[in-house]
Amino acid sequence: MVKVFIYPATSLILSDMVARFGHEPLGSAIGIRERIQTPGFESPPLQITPEEPKKGLKWAAVEVPSGVRGRMAVYGPLIEAAEAAIIVRNPDFAFGCMGCARTNELVLFHLRNRGFPVLELDYPTSDDEGAAFVAAIREFLEGLPKEASQ
Amino acid sequence: MAEYVPKYVGTVTKYVFVESPLLTPKDLAVRAYEISGGVMIKETCFGLQVTGTPDEVEALVAKVREFDPSHIFVKDRGFPPGDERRCRANLGGARPGYLGHEFEMGKVRYISKGLEAAATTVPPLPEKPKPFDARRLKKLMDAEEP
Amino acid sequence: MSEKVRIAQLSCGPEYSGVQKEIYDAAAMVDAEVFFPDIMLDDVREGFESFGLDVRSPDLKLAIGRAKALVEGKIDADAVFIATCFRCAEAAIVRNELRRYIHENSSLPVVSYSFTERTTSGTLLTRMEALTTIARRRALLAREEQEGITLGIDSGSSTTKAVVMKENEIVGTGWLPTTEVLKSAEGAVDLALAEAGVTMNDIQAIGTTGYGRYLIGKHFNAQLVQEELTVNSKGAVYLAGRQHGPATVIDIGGMDNKAISVLDGIPGTFTMGGICAGASGRFLEMTAKRLGIDITELGPLAMKGMGEKVPMNSYCIVFGTQSLVNALAEGSSREDVAAAACHSVAEQVFEQQLQEVDIKEPVIMVGGTSLIQGLVYAMGQLLQTEVVVPHHSQYIGAVGSALLASGFVKGE
Repeated sequence: MVKVFIYPATSLILSDMVARFGHEPLGSAIGIRERIQTPGFESPPLQITPEEPKKGLKWAAVEVPSGVRGRMAVYGPLIEAAEAAIIVRNPDFAFGCMGCARTNELVLFHLRNRGFPVLELDYPTSDDEGAAFVAAIREFLEGLPKEASQ
Repeated sequence: MAEYVPKYVGTVTKYVFVESPLLTPKDLAVRAYEISGGVMIKETCFGLQVTGTPDEVEALVAKVREFDPSHIFVKDRGFPPGDERRCRANLGGARPGYLGHEFEMGKVRYISKGLEAAATTVPPLPEKPKPFDARRLKKLMDAEEP
Repeated sequence: MSEKVRIAQLSCGPEYSGVQKEIYDAAAMVDAEVFFPDIMLDDVREGFESFGLDVRSPDLKLAIGRAKALVEGKIDADAVFIATCFRCAEAAIVRNELRRYIHENSSLPVVSYSFTERTTSGTLLTRMEALTTIARRRALLAREEQEGITLGIDSGSSTTKAVVMKENEIVGTGWLPTTEVLKSAEGAVDLALAEAGVTMNDIQAIGTTGYGRYLIGKHFNAQLVQEELTVNSKGAVYLAGRQHGPATVIDIGGMDNKAISVLDGIPGTFTMGGICAGASGRFLEMTAKRLGIDITELGPLAMKGMGEKVPMNSYCIVFGTQSLVNALAEGSSREDVAAAACHSVAEQVFEQQLQEVDIKEPVIMVGGTSLIQGLVYAMGQLLQTEVVVPHHSQYIGAVGSALLASGFVKGE
């Protein structure tokens, strides 16, 4: 079982596919859960405090808007922990954690440059495309190691 | 600044979505309650939210998937169920993630078809790496500038 | 307390910048609640596509979809707050276009703000207060004539002003530099009462505004304690005799600047702020000091100079002052330096703030800085229009307060 970063990181479909085929999906929920379950100062709704955009400086410079840096504080560690990624291109309607196009561009850039296996595909728009979509993901996931590379 | 004391520490929450001609969210909930074994289940319009220790949730989700494998979809959730920070009643509107789910739920019927197709075919074995041709390697080495 | 004012939030990024709580807190302080308009995915798609601004960020598409739902009346709201990340070009375009769209197509008051992770509820408070006032007190703001004997006090960051009004006339004025907030206010009030020939017992209602409004409001038992955005808008159109139709009010203050787009005396959109004191009245004060003249002499001096002759960019007050010193050392005339300082301040207000409101004539300049002719002239040049400076413009906040406070005369 390896950790697979899913993009869009909020995707139900990708989260399901990765877990269904025996691996661990890494997405927004994992990063948000960690914050929601950690004591500290109150910062609703996501428990992302003003400190997080500062932590995001590791992935984006200070001239980059705070919302990008705050999101990168969530995604950066997940990308670093990941061992593979599945990317669905052009998720036009993934909001919230995936709501900023600039962050999404930066996340994609990091994923493509990690040197780990990456599968890129598009959302299906027909039954045939659905079959190809599932087959491609399954094949990709079955090609990943069964054990985490620690 | 007010102190934040988290609830449900150490638990995981997962969404279970169902989009099936044979199983309604209501049916899913009834059947899930039967096998829940004390794991917290919350019924929603699209399916369930399941909360418990990671092992409990994993075991329950695996059993629930069996009800209708190609039409049940599972995803992690960062918040525990009914959290007022994400609740529509408090926000005045759906949290942004809801619309993202709405978008993907429009796609899952194709995924179901794909899963059904995959279930009937034996997945091809991953292609084994072929041993590298020694003659080609020699050629490459010769071509390399000193 | 009356029913909570419902403020619809259109935003991208505050939850991820750690400032959503600040927005909630600011709203709670003025008894308002922030909510997110509830629309379906198809509404987002449709709204976004019909709006025609093809941005990439999904949360901005959502903001556009929500704005359309508000304008089309599908969602009820009392006011709109638009917030996006500072330094995001895509969001800045959406912020501006949505503000304009909502302003032109609905009667909803709207304010926009670009935040950083350092934004606090205190910064947002005046904006939220203005939003809720417009939503909650339309009847009060509809007042066009002052009645009875009322007192208005404006406790600003540099000066404290007081005005006594009687039957729609200004009968007494007083101003003092703000040192100790209460002491300055008492002094200014005494001056105004003396000039009016009345005593505190004759005053039928009191209104306060400015930074010290809460403190002096409590001290003087004021019936109306109101932020300066709505008060100044009202005061400006009243003094300029332009209570009906559109107007633009510009107030370059000692600490921050306000640009307000007004319709029938009620603010529609407004901006408030300023990156640095270099873009405020404070820089002009420093210029006057450096030139060895009184601030009242700066305007006439600047009118004799040519702003273009001396390069000056007071984006930062420290560097701005340095270029002022350099210019003098290089032999530039005091007139030219004074003109350059006025031009620099006007230019920054123009670039940083006036781009965010729709300039509609008449443009009315108010506040103490409106008495500096050089500044008014420079602003007029930049806006290509004749800027109106009404009589008593330096008392704008106090006049607006006295006018609005008369809504409380005879227990109204």
